[in-house]
Amino acid sequence: MKKVFLLFVISLLVISPVAMAKEPVKVGLISVLSGPLAVIGKGEEYGGRMAVEDYGEVLGQKVELIIKDHAYNPGLANERAKELYEKDKVDVITACPNSAAALAVSDQALRHKRLFISTSAGTCDLIAKNRYTIKWNYNDYMLATTVGRWGARHLGKRWYTITADYAWGHDLLKYFTAALKEEGGVHVGNDMVALGTADFSPYILKAKKAEPDVLVLLNVGKDAANSTKAAVEYGLKEKVKIVHALLFEVDIKGAGIETFTGDYVAASWNWQVDTPGARDFADRFYKKFGERPHFMAAAVYSSVWQYLEAVKRAKSKDPEAVKKALKGHTFRDFFANPGYVRAEDLLQVGKAYLLRVKKPGEVKEKEAFFEIVGTLPPEKAHPPVGFFGRKF
Amino acid sequence: MDIEYIFAQLFNGLMLGSFYILLSLGLSIVFGMLGVVNFAHGAIYMLGAYAAYTICQVFAQSFWLALILSPIIVGIIGMVLEATLIRRLYAFAHFYNLLLTFGVMLCIEEVVSIIYTPIGKPFGTPGTFVGSLDLGFIIFPRYRIFIILITMICSIGMWLFLAKTKLGAIIRAGTDDSEMVSALGIDISRIFTLVFGMGAALAGLAGVLAAPVQNIFPYMGGSILVETFVVVIIGGMGSIVGSILGGLIIGELITLGVIFWPPVANTLIFIFMALILLLRPRGFFGRAKFFE
Amino acid sequence: MGMPMIKHKWWVFVIIPICLALPFLTPYHALASEMLIFAIFALGYDIIFGYTGLLSFGHAMFFGIGAYGTGLVLTRWVPSLFLGLATGIAISLPLALIVGFLSIRRRGIYFVMVTLAFCQMLYFIAFKWTSLTGGDNGLHGVPRPLIGPFDLNSELLFYYFVFSIFALSVLVAFRIVSSPFGRVLQSLRENEDRAKSIGYNTDNFKVISFVTSAFFSSLAGGLYAVHLNFVPLDTLSIFTSGDVVIMALVGGIGTLYGPIFGAMLIVYLKNLLSAWMENWNLIMGLLFISSVLAFRKGILPVLRERLWGR
Repeated sequence: MKKVFLLFVISLLVISPVAMAKEPVKVGLISVLSGPLAVIGKGEEYGGRMAVEDYGEVLGQKVELIIKDHAYNPGLANERAKELYEKDKVDVITACPNSAAALAVSDQALRHKRLFISTSAGTCDLIAKNRYTIKWNYNDYMLATTVGRWGARHLGKRWYTITADYAWGHDLLKYFTAALKEEGGVHVGNDMVALGTADFSPYILKAKKAEPDVLVLLNVGKDAANSTKAAVEYGLKEKVKIVHALLFEVDIKGAGIETFTGDYVAASWNWQVDTPGARDFADRFYKKFGERPHFMAAAVYSSVWQYLEAVKRAKSKDPEAVKKALKGHTFRDFFANPGYVRAEDLLQVGKAYLLRVKKPGEVKEKEAFFEIVGTLPPEKAHPPVGFFGRKF
Repeated sequence: MDIEYIFAQLFNGLMLGSFYILLSLGLSIVFGMLGVVNFAHGAIYMLGAYAAYTICQVFAQSFWLALILSPIIVGIIGMVLEATLIRRLYAFAHFYNLLLTFGVMLCIEEVVSIIYTPIGKPFGTPGTFVGSLDLGFIIFPRYRIFIILITMICSIGMWLFLAKTKLGAIIRAGTDDSEMVSALGIDISRIFTLVFGMGAALAGLAGVLAAPVQNIFPYMGGSILVETFVVVIIGGMGSIVGSILGGLIIGELITLGVIFWPPVANTLIFIFMALILLLRPRGFFGRAKFFE
Repeated sequence: MGMPMIKHKWWVFVIIPICLALPFLTPYHALASEMLIFAIFALGYDIIFGYTGLLSFGHAMFFGIGAYGTGLVLTRWVPSLFLGLATGIAISLPLALIVGFLSIRRRGIYFVMVTLAFCQMLYFIAFKWTSLTGGDNGLHGVPRPLIGPFDLNSELLFYYFVFSIFALSVLVAFRIVSSPFGRVLQSLRENEDRAKSIGYNTDNFKVISFVTSAFFSSLAGGLYAVHLNFVPLDTLSIFTSGDVVIMALVGGIGTLYGPIFGAMLIVYLKNLLSAWMENWNLIMGLLFISSVLAFRKGILPVLRERLWGR
């Protein structure tokens, strides 16, 4: 008996290195690493790196992370996705801000029959787009609905919107007005403004005339800064509350906190939330990279971590097995506590936060610009299953 | 539609028009005299904003200093550009300098992006001008009134300079026929450098004035460049009056478009430009020789 | 200047093997396809810019129409690659006729401005018409149809397909520029008044040249749509127009092989450099400036002169 056992153990020891000589799990990350939006991409890159480093090994091997720049260009993103799936043979791609880019990567995921976890693009077209696309973090419905639902109850009934005139803005407007209507709010007017407009004063004047309680700025980045600046200039800020669709710490740094003081924004996460592990992650991130993580960085970390956990559970990196391990799975990490991946459409949901920008005097440490003023449970914030007519 | 709202919007259009006036003046005189279509004009405008930012960083919020120094610095940069690069291509077809300045634009934007990072920089409204003039029924932000005033002063100053001074006369003559002026013994190449510098200084001034109004970032010259081209084409390449009128018209057109016909407010100017190009390419006050 | 094919036949024995081996020389096969697609684009552009001497800043409109035309046929109608490409071309040619006719009427920088204006207008129309083009999200899901027994989903096969189209385009283009027609174009580039005085209707020649260049541009655009499996909005943007100008200039306008080389070089560099540095636009800008100043003729002709003393 002993001999048989010894033989068995020896044969295992001989076989396992051969078994382990299989390919390690490879994670691809596409983001904007050059140009004006590079700060988004850098954060995502750091988030991805930290996740892979922290996780260590899966299936007996170290995880490989391959990072590519798409310069916020959908055509480039398409090429990078092809490169990653074909040449680098990654098992999953994550991140990818820019909705058009994410849609292109999603198509490539289907063509190559590998997974794509979209954490950083807002378009709801990605939800249940195809069998290989998992939507993580936020989506446009969630942003707009959170703002609409919570805001209508706490901020006022008459709303005026200024919308960035492209697909993202249009989507936000659509979901926002629907949510507002449900809560009994009144949409007193809207303006479509071309991307990159420097002077928002004509629109602010129009907004003033409509006498709203709340001004909603469905734009981001420079447009958000310029429109808010104009609101301050024309004295609109004193009269109404201002709500943003998206606001990053870097935007506040860029325009100065006085511009954004008192403004509200919805978010899936912020480094100042009280979720266990969030503060610790933010501190480690800060120590390593000199800045606080934005919610996309955290989302990338979470998506990579949960993917690797799923691989561990499934004991395989085969896309179908990993999907099965993720469908209907509840998890707790510093990003979502709890977070849940819906089986019907592979949408990751978690609760939504309402943040408000502090006054300059209230900022006690670097980049601590926000305070949490409210939350919305996932069922209220995220689109119901089948809302877009798609499910698995 | 009440009168005070329209008034306020028209006032806005005036302010928008002021930027177009300053920018198109610079572009127009450079084209008129040197025959150069300066694609780097928007990047130079951006340099004005960043120069102002840097001056305020170094000299602790001195907007007035920035207002005076910034255009001078940018003007000097312009003269250096002309003397080192642009003058080499005068002998060749117009489009060579167009392409050269296009390349210069790319370089300037990237250099600024490297030095100052691609993220925007904050620039507050200068202390003297914070707040608005509340006339009861209309609110005019003080700073915007200031922009309009400065532009008016510059336009009048420009006109006086060209009409009443000797140098101005030389420049006007050079715009008509630079060879002749050269034949009269005047060093036309120095005049060329000066004119390019002037154009750059005007763009730089526009940049300083723009800084408190919008976020400054390295690529802020992009869209306003295209719009400035439209203004210059409509007003007429090489015409001062054309630039002023063109700037005002386009400024008001865009603003009125926002009120009455929002979806096409921005495309309106391209349609207008296409019409002008097809019907009267010289614009309202331009000279025929460049196009026909 | 216009008949290098005949003078330097040995070029063919160098270029062909390189092109055949290209997919294996580039980091990934798809890059090689992209290099040739833009080479076709630049080839066509040289006809109007290099040979006729007219700077168009709006050629992205033909590239984009080719892309959208092909994309729409393949996604909404029938998955036939040739029908798709033909449709893209068929739509852009009449447009080129109209735009060309309107643009060549006057001189100087008028042509530049009109082509720019038309391109911008088309861009905005495509931006707004989301039901047709997808707006700024682009047109997604463009398939790669079968060509006989060949499944073009293989990047390698797709490259050789693109290569065959490229080779045909090069042959046709060389034919055109070395023909009497091509020679008239060059004469009108050098001195239009002279050409007129000899009796040529220079306006007609300009328009035909414009339409011809549009043909190649839209062919390239159609291939691009199939290459990416989607059509991004920036195929119509002013930057794409600028890109082809840079490619032609850097390579050497008026030579045909110059822009081909320029296009392949720039596509390759873009890919290589953007992986290493954030501000590769600076390199492009410097390359551009030096091309305009020093290599007014472009890199290849200058090299040719230096090496062969011609």
